[in-house]
Amino acid sequence: MNELRPYLRMLATYRGRMLLGSILVFATIAAGVGLLALSGWFITATGVTALALAAGMQAQLEIYVPGAGIRFFALTRTAARYVERVQNHDTVLRLLADLRQRVFARLTALDPAALARFRNALVLNRLTADIDALDSLYLRCLAPPVAAVLAVLGVAVMLGLIDPLAGIVVGTVLLLGTGLLTAAVAWPGSAIGESVAQRTESARTEIVDLVRGLAELRTFGVVDRQQAAIDRSDRALVALQQRAARLAALGEAGMGLVIHLAMVLALFVGVWLYTADAVSGPLAVLMPLAVLALLEGLAPVPGGLLQLGRARAAARRLNSQSAVEPTICEPRAPAVPPDTGELAFDHVDAGRSEAPEPILRDFSLHLADEEHVAVIGPSGCGKSTLADLAVRLLDPLRGEVRLGGVPLPGLALTDIHERISYLTQRSEIFSDTITGNLMLARPDADDRALWYALEVVALADFVEDLDQGLDTWVGESGVRLSGGQARRLALARIVLRGAPVIVLDEPLAGLDAATAATVAARLKPWLRGRTTLLLAHDTTALPTVDRIVELNTLPATA
Amino acid sequence: MSDHGMRGHARWLDGLARPHSGLLTLAATAGLVTGGLVVVQAGLIALIVHRVIVADQTLGDVVPLFFALSGVVVLRAASHWGQQVAGIAAAARIRRHLRTAVLERIAALGPVRLAGEHSGDLAQKTMEQVDAIDGYFARYRPQRVVAVGVPLAIAVVALTQDWIVALLLILAAPLIPLFMALVGMGAEYLNREQFETVNRLAGHFLDRVRGLSTLRLFGRAPHAVAEVGAMADEYRRRNMRTLRVAFLSSAVLEFFASVAIASIAIYIGFGLLGYIEFGNAPELTLFSGLFLLLLAPDFFQPLRTLAQSYHDRAAALGAADGLRGLLERSGPDGVTTTVACDGRAVAISIADLHFGYPDRAPVFRGACLDIAAGERVALIGASGSGKSTLLQLLAGFAEPDRGTIRIGGVPAGRIGPVAWVGQRPFLMTGSIAANIALARPAATRAEIRAAAEQAGVTAFADDLAAGLDTPIGEGGLGLSGGQGQRIAIARAFLAATPLLLLDEPTASLDAVSEQRVLAALERLAAEGRTLVVASHHAAVRGLVDRVAAVEDGLLREVTP
Repeated sequence: MNELRPYLRMLATYRGRMLLGSILVFATIAAGVGLLALSGWFITATGVTALALAAGMQAQLEIYVPGAGIRFFALTRTAARYVERVQNHDTVLRLLADLRQRVFARLTALDPAALARFRNALVLNRLTADIDALDSLYLRCLAPPVAAVLAVLGVAVMLGLIDPLAGIVVGTVLLLGTGLLTAAVAWPGSAIGESVAQRTESARTEIVDLVRGLAELRTFGVVDRQQAAIDRSDRALVALQQRAARLAALGEAGMGLVIHLAMVLALFVGVWLYTADAVSGPLAVLMPLAVLALLEGLAPVPGGLLQLGRARAAARRLNSQSAVEPTICEPRAPAVPPDTGELAFDHVDAGRSEAPEPILRDFSLHLADEEHVAVIGPSGCGKSTLADLAVRLLDPLRGEVRLGGVPLPGLALTDIHERISYLTQRSEIFSDTITGNLMLARPDADDRALWYALEVVALADFVEDLDQGLDTWVGESGVRLSGGQARRLALARIVLRGAPVIVLDEPLAGLDAATAATVAARLKPWLRGRTTLLLAHDTTALPTVDRIVELNTLPATA
Repeated sequence: MSDHGMRGHARWLDGLARPHSGLLTLAATAGLVTGGLVVVQAGLIALIVHRVIVADQTLGDVVPLFFALSGVVVLRAASHWGQQVAGIAAAARIRRHLRTAVLERIAALGPVRLAGEHSGDLAQKTMEQVDAIDGYFARYRPQRVVAVGVPLAIAVVALTQDWIVALLLILAAPLIPLFMALVGMGAEYLNREQFETVNRLAGHFLDRVRGLSTLRLFGRAPHAVAEVGAMADEYRRRNMRTLRVAFLSSAVLEFFASVAIASIAIYIGFGLLGYIEFGNAPELTLFSGLFLLLLAPDFFQPLRTLAQSYHDRAAALGAADGLRGLLERSGPDGVTTTVACDGRAVAISIADLHFGYPDRAPVFRGACLDIAAGERVALIGASGSGKSTLLQLLAGFAEPDRGTIRIGGVPAGRIGPVAWVGQRPFLMTGSIAANIALARPAATRAEIRAAAEQAGVTAFADDLAAGLDTPIGEGGLGLSGGQGQRIAIARAFLAATPLLLLDEPTASLDAVSEQRVLAALERLAAEGRTLVVASHHAAVRGLVDRVAAVEDGLLREVTP
């Protein structure tokens, strides 16, 4: 259960809400118990009174208080249930918001290499599924069992007040029976929940392979093999899901059995006490009905606890994601940021942690303040590695990168990001308005600055023609931009930011020749006065530069 | 396609259930049996109380009744369990069938018709959307029968005891679905109104995680953390607006059930005391009173269970929408390879080929080309002229609109296997060797090794600690484009098919990788198989006997 500790700690900050929520669950059960028990008592009491009257005896029954009680419980049950559901779902959604924020905050501390994994749709899906599994922890695994235990104890005490022996006997049977049943279901269930998650992932990977490899699989005539492999995974997966579902069914039916048997026992004890003249008839009837009314609150408990396994697996995955210590750390005492845009790579070795060999070896390059340099080389030669080094997304294995003579690890990361703007190879467009996407770069920018940036990247006309102009929603759930438009929007962000040092990785990739030429021509004057490092596989359609360095002849020195 | 409304989806779901109606009937029957046992149980409890209190019997006299009651309780648990297990089994079978059908459809549609689809989305359809129909069959369908049968039976039993109580129950029952429908409509309206906003808010988190590196580069990560919190909170507020209305529908149900029970209790109590003079009230006994009281909650219980599984129905209808879009997309019925190649090179004859994609200008307008067995042909042409399309037609991923493509005398797509090397190699999760063996699963280790050597895979794989057993794909070693392409070419060596189709095999490679891939291609071309390669690369032209240009929807011979 250790893996859940951080989340339980987080839940603890909602102590008040959760307590109230559990009390409301309990109140709902209690009102149900009250309604049925009091009704049974009332009917029996009236029956007994009627019998006495018929026998000519003196008998009286106060009917208005029990009648009012019955109506009270009936309304309380409805109201408590409604308030409980609203309150608890609100709590769950609050937990979800909190969890998302915490997970996101932890992800921001990760290294770029670790972050790159989250561009994969499967990893992202898993992340949200895991968060969802955890936010149901309270609603499924915490509130119902707590309320159930309280309700069982409450009924036991009620019976105990009528007759101590009845309370002890029925209470013990109830607690033992429901407890053992819940454990018997939840224990094997937690392991199944985890294997279901694993099997789902492997089946999903096989399906993705089928879709991505359809051309190869079909032409080589092996598509049926892949289908058979998926079918095997699916068979195992469905069998596991069926086991989990059967277990939940067993929990529900078993809970019914335990409660009903306890009810029979309570009835037996009641009848026995009545025939021994120890309790009245109405009270003897009240006892089994009180037990019977517990079922509604207790039935979902075993099935809910089945979710614990899923929550634990989810917690483990989330914990391991953030357990990776970032290698890029802030300096203890940041140096004063330099006011020149001079950028120097000094005998640098660098590579990705997952690759066995460094991509850059003993690489040196010095960009004077306001100098424009293009680094040209084939794909995979280390251009992006070079760009990552410049903004400290990556630290060199050997050697040093300096901005204005100050080694980058000595500068605060915010200072680096303020002075160096980096257009990565991917054009990251957020699901937001065009304004929102641009303002990331400069939150205080006014409309004039936005239009200027769009003008530089030759996107102003396009945006003007949109019905909602700058307020047009783009990305996932909005207007889809073409690859070239997305590229230019990303570039416009860099323009808007207006940093003194600019690193552009394949800035005009994906643009048609005419547009690329326009953007290159407009970019040129804007880049004047800024230190610029351009990275591309060839020089066609790049703004003209002061110097070109070729990177494919390793080791390169310039 | 008027059949694609909610009603059409419901009919489609019913169609899925037909082969498994036995299990679903069993589940519903078990539910009805449970309902019957509920009545018996209530009767036995009332009888025990009546005998002891009214008839003054001793504990010993009613012991047989206790045994009967215990038996009923056990049977009731068993049938309750049986309903669920039968439903679960039916749903599991239906899901298995449906998933197989979806996968077959994906395979039959092929890479060209599915070109616009993301593999992750299709996997999500195949996994989550198929799973989403589970509750509909496991719970909703059987419960739909139970929710009609059991309350009806209880009402009839109540009628034998007291018609006023029966009337109370019967009056309360139809009000419940009515109110639920009203409130549900409200919720749905709220939902639709908020749909876009809620979707955006829900997607916000994933969107920001995906772009986290960019946010960091602009120093916006701390702000984004706050924003994620604010958006999730906004999501909560909007969702709660809908949920409050939705919960109101179950509160209505709850309210009627509670009020009915309370009214029945008070009516019976007053009746027993003789305060009520009309109806059968004067004839009420402790037995009938208690019996009716106990039946009242169980009259409403099946309806409440149905209401709870109502969202199962909504989920299944939602999934039906997505799944039918894929399953009913037009295309061939299945993957059909009727003629197996016997290993000899095949001739190709393309005659009067017409082909176009919907809503676009036609790609081919009467193209003709004959390729002799064992001949090697390069296709050239501007990008978008239709080189790749021709290869896809040769592979049988799409059919000509008019005209014929015959390979070895049979229509393209009917003959196989054929070797395929695409622009970007497909690498599946697994070892390098397993990726090569995809082309011929029965190949021996030595044959795989030989193919890897021919294609230049061993040139880089032998430097790896695990050699050809090095895992690649997600979670494995990342390969460069050229390395991946050589694995794809190794497949072509291994498969030894009579026809080779290569689509820009050197595209997006740098000069060094390109040289290595070309060297491998040269060896492959020398094997004497029929080869068609789309490429504008001059070096590739050196490997072939003939060059054909794709221009204006026609194929034109070019002197090399």
